[in-house]
Amino acid sequence: MTINIKMKIVTQIKNLENYKIYLQVEKAVHGFMEKNNYLKVDLPVLSPALIPESYLEIFETEFNYFDKKEKLYLTPSPEIFLKRLLVAGVGNCYYLGRAYRNSEPNSDWHSSEFTMLEFYKLGINYLEMAEEVLKLLQEISNKVKNPSFAKATEGKQKLKFDRWEKYSVTEAFEKFAGIKKEELFNEKLFIKKAKNKGFNIDNTGYEDLFSQMLAAEVEPKLGVSGYPTLLYDLPKQMASLAKLNDDGLTAQRCEFYINGLEVGGFCTELNDYKEQQKRFILEAKKRKQNKMIDHTIDKGFVKALKYGLPFCTGAGIGFERLVMIFSNTKSIDELKLISIK
Amino acid sequence: MRVNAGNLKKGEFVFFQGEICQVQKADFYSPGKGAALMKARLKNLVSAKNVEYAYKSNEQIEVLDVTSVEMQYLYKDNENLYFMDERTFNQSSLSISVVGEITRFFKEGEKMFVYMYNDKPLTIRPPMSVKLKIVEAEDAAKGDTVSGAKKPVKVETGATVMVPIFVKVGETISINPETGEYTGRV
Repeated sequence: MTINIKMKIVTQIKNLENYKIYLQVEKAVHGFMEKNNYLKVDLPVLSPALIPESYLEIFETEFNYFDKKEKLYLTPSPEIFLKRLLVAGVGNCYYLGRAYRNSEPNSDWHSSEFTMLEFYKLGINYLEMAEEVLKLLQEISNKVKNPSFAKATEGKQKLKFDRWEKYSVTEAFEKFAGIKKEELFNEKLFIKKAKNKGFNIDNTGYEDLFSQMLAAEVEPKLGVSGYPTLLYDLPKQMASLAKLNDDGLTAQRCEFYINGLEVGGFCTELNDYKEQQKRFILEAKKRKQNKMIDHTIDKGFVKALKYGLPFCTGAGIGFERLVMIFSNTKSIDELKLISIK
Repeated sequence: MRVNAGNLKKGEFVFFQGEICQVQKADFYSPGKGAALMKARLKNLVSAKNVEYAYKSNEQIEVLDVTSVEMQYLYKDNENLYFMDERTFNQSSLSISVVGEITRFFKEGEKMFVYMYNDKPLTIRPPMSVKLKIVEAEDAAKGDTVSGAKKPVKVETGATVMVPIFVKVGETISINPETGEYTGRV
């Protein structure tokens, strides 16, 4: 069944106050990054090649000049460029700008065109990065003045950023979904448990069921106790670009949540080009199977990794989701002056 | 009708764990790893309890073909609301906890649409607006003319609504029953 979507350009001047908060958060982020010696990098959003990812659909367009034609793609994340720069020796750096994901309808938490904050720091692991992210949240909280925010949250528990509420994935699943450690990391046992809970397990593997259970039973409980929640040590299946922990089961990846919504994530970067190459082939194959856009694969990216990515941790934050917290809004659309919907 | 879960909408009916549920909320959510999801809040129409669930957005699910029948709202007791089909004189009842908060705006004798599935009443199709008379209100205090100022009033069904301060006892107002907000004078 095809559903026709006729998009419209909508002017939303009623969102002016929210948009001004957006600008304040943006200014606070730039201020934090400058103070902490991250280099701001502006990057292209059109690229002739991409990293294959089987869960992200892309936008494609074409460059034309007389008889010359070349496919170009809007980048779903700045990672492809930032990692090249890290290999080349740029040092600590950040990008705050547009990213594009196709096949994602506008919802409270998604927009196919959105703003991403991605930054990398050399010489630290994911847990040290958690402290850095907390400092960033504190800085924004101190800098953003929102008179309507205090009023709107009157009587509610005020969100504080002086510490994380921390759960390992193992602890969170045990506490909120009643899944024991031995069930969480044993794919067969986990799928059985999901079936008993009523999840539809037909054609559904461990990764998808993990995501479904996380979204339905765990996430609504995170970041709701007055502090942001750090969920750390994800199963290795859910973090293929992260360094593995010594337990062999989990990877050095975290995500953080506020009001039940994932705002960002970060991991100690995997510095193994062979592993990356394997993953590329697998993801490209999956894209073909799923009949997704057949884009050119960025071989230069693997080449760069082969040269050597320095030890670092990279963090990605959905910038609109971050602004939603400080503007007390419930959807990305409430931040937009012009909305395509 | 079978649809992709990614197209599920608020207000639709589905079977979940063998029981009929109404979708209270459905939001697309893509964690970026693993499949894109449709996060849904489903209200069980027997127990009136909400359950959070996450469908894969490309999962095929059955949205129930329900009909809506116009009925007259007769009365309520502690647990149920009673309705009558004016053409057949058949009476139906619905639990107050299933229909939810909006019942506080229901006036006896009013006509409403009841969703039916296999001749079984499920819940109410909420009207866009209800018109109710104000039975209790304080007079606006002198000098209190700040624009946008509001006061609580009681309407004939006993519910309390916030209205602009110039609205008086005896006036009929329209209310959005789903949000409980005043939308204008009639």
